[in-house]
Amino acid sequence: MEINGDALTIDLDMSMDEIVEFEEFIRPRIEYIEKIEIEENGLLKSSALLSLLVSIKKTRPEMEIPFLDKGWTMSPIYGTVHWIYHD
Amino acid sequence: MTKQEQVKAIFIEEAGEIVEKLDVDIIRFEENSNDFNLLNEIFRGVHTLKGNANAFGFTRLGEFVHHFEDLLDYYRSTKESIEANNLELFVESVDVVKEVMGCELNAIEQLPQSYTECLEKIKRLLALKKNISKPMTEQNSVAELNDLASEFGLSSLENEENDIEKSIKFHQALQTDELNLYKIDLNLDIDCYKRGFDYFIFLKILSERTNFLESFFDMKNVKTISEFKSDENGIANVTVVVLTLQRREDIEEIFEFLFEHEFHITQIEPAVIKKADIKIEAALSTAFQTAPSPAPSNANAPKSTIRIDTIKLDELFDSVGELVITQNFIAQNEKIRSIEDEAINRTIETLSKITKKIQDRVMSLRMIAIKDTFEKMKRVVRDTSKKTLKEVHLIVQGEDTEIDKTMIDSLSDPLIHIIRNAIDHGLESNSDERLRAGKNAEGVIALRAFHKSGNIVISVSDDGRGINKERVLQKAIERGIINENENLTDSQIFSLIMQPGFSTAEAVSDLSGRGVGLDVVKTSIEKLRGKIEIDSDEGCGTTFSIVLPLTLAIIDGMLVRTADEIYIIPTLSVVESFRPEKEIVHIIKGRGEFVNLRGECIPIIRLSTVFDIKTQKMEAWESILVCVETEGGRIAVMIDELLGRQQVVIKTLGKSLAKIKEISGGAILGNGDIALILNVDELRPLNEISHV
Repeated sequence: MEINGDALTIDLDMSMDEIVEFEEFIRPRIEYIEKIEIEENGLLKSSALLSLLVSIKKTRPEMEIPFLDKGWTMSPIYGTVHWIYHD
Repeated sequence: MTKQEQVKAIFIEEAGEIVEKLDVDIIRFEENSNDFNLLNEIFRGVHTLKGNANAFGFTRLGEFVHHFEDLLDYYRSTKESIEANNLELFVESVDVVKEVMGCELNAIEQLPQSYTECLEKIKRLLALKKNISKPMTEQNSVAELNDLASEFGLSSLENEENDIEKSIKFHQALQTDELNLYKIDLNLDIDCYKRGFDYFIFLKILSERTNFLESFFDMKNVKTISEFKSDENGIANVTVVVLTLQRREDIEEIFEFLFEHEFHITQIEPAVIKKADIKIEAALSTAFQTAPSPAPSNANAPKSTIRIDTIKLDELFDSVGELVITQNFIAQNEKIRSIEDEAINRTIETLSKITKKIQDRVMSLRMIAIKDTFEKMKRVVRDTSKKTLKEVHLIVQGEDTEIDKTMIDSLSDPLIHIIRNAIDHGLESNSDERLRAGKNAEGVIALRAFHKSGNIVISVSDDGRGINKERVLQKAIERGIINENENLTDSQIFSLIMQPGFSTAEAVSDLSGRGVGLDVVKTSIEKLRGKIEIDSDEGCGTTFSIVLPLTLAIIDGMLVRTADEIYIIPTLSVVESFRPEKEIVHIIKGRGEFVNLRGECIPIIRLSTVFDIKTQKMEAWESILVCVETEGGRIAVMIDELLGRQQVVIKTLGKSLAKIKEISGGAILGNGDIALILNVDELRPLNEISHV
């Protein structure tokens, strides 16, 4: 997890502990973080990360999360994964 | 050597290099199977091997790599994601290539059983893939392709409400008689993470058993951050569409630990679609084209290298050694030094610099980073981990450490054995045992290379059970290796496991435990003038350290004098030199002399005593002490005079002198005198000598 000004970069392969840590970090800072970049080199380890990103997006729809906004990802292990989070 | 033999030797060398590279690349590819540049590189290697094998009449090898090449070609041209079980087949195929090559080169008629099995698997997979992608062979217009894509909704697959239906339709079109299509709905309970389940765990298992996998996460119920909890599942539903050879029961088995209400499997019947098999591949490609392109591999980076016979390199190395001696002679010759001519002095200085530069360059020619050897070890760890069903995390450090090429060649086998041993016997039998011991379920193997006391150390550590000293002692006594009354240090006890025929393994596996391995490892390392040290902490793990001398013919040495003899101490080992105050020198009865250097009590070693030189007894404070780092800790070598620092060429000593362990070699000095190079690790304090 790396913060550069108002942009936050996180890894895709976060463990549950890291996700909880990320949640605690973002909670008080959600208003001033403008963008969350995801390093896509790794492999999604937990769907909790996907949920957390959706939760952040629902809280501040104007926040840029390119990975989430794309709506899908492809992985050699999980195949094609789509997500739908808007009503 | 006849022309034909020469050509064959080139084939063997080239094929060996290709296979060695394949072995490393396939593991790298397994780690990142999105790297299609790397896949291309693997394909090129296999392609070259096929050509060479057929050219030399190695048809069995040619046949195998031909099919393997086809399979690689399929994936590289379609850029299709490679399923985990098929990646395993790639790795297996490289193993078969190695084995078959061995059979071909040694004219062994009987091929390994794995040859037929693996070839069958390749052919079957290829047939399946080609069956699915049959439409690829048909010529389709762009308009037709677009029509089809829109028919399946692929052009707008993202963020569509009816994506699932479209996906099913799409996969139905791919169905053949053998393939089953399932729609799996997962609705995991809110506490699923706490129960150790996650949707991705099931996706991973499914991907290992299926051909196509697509999933849809319904995240509409995920709450805003004020009500959100990471450790509670907020995902309403995940629908997975899978195309697989597996039966329904096999798929149900994957979810056997879930509650019944948490999953629902629906088998989808094949649809009858007119001309639906047309252009699927093109549509598929369209879908995949939008996928993120993998990071470029540096596998294609151009190399500017030439092959040089190592014999020529050795000759060059010897010549440079002589050049260094001659240069030293010129630099130290009294007559030359007395010439008061600035131009001559400058020329000598320049010669010295150039000689040093040439020497460094030539030395570096023989030095190779240990990286490649460590890369190979990744494969060993992977395979052993799979065979022993133990989860292993490998840590690699110091892979840029350089080591003499001749040593690298002889290092692989001992390292493989030690690593297998560490996983098979060092680590606990299973993750439960580790968890009970308060460790992570995943065992850790650390492979390190570093410089220490002028040596190169390659260590293999595990965080496993450690060695049970009592058991080792008992076994050694039972086998008559030691007597009951022998009083051994920990290090000596651990070393017993390297005695021929010694093994405490309860079960003999095909990896280790036959008691014929570690003694061979020890012998191999000793041939390199190295040694193996074992350190173990019961319950915490074991470290095997292979200590190797640099063994390069030239070292940087500190010239010292004791009486009329000149000795060389390798500069890498020297910490500092000083003349001690009388107050800091102490004599302890029965233990010898010590110097208290800034609070550290360091044993004093008198060279005159070690080498039995008749000299006038001097007190330590009247001499100079050279503080030296050794494997056994610091020692202070007592000498009469420091003469200076010099690059010296190591000359091996004759058989009779080679037995003197305190000396590692000799060197000719600039003035023609001979000096002995000290093996500082063998300079022991008095008490240790008497103990030993």
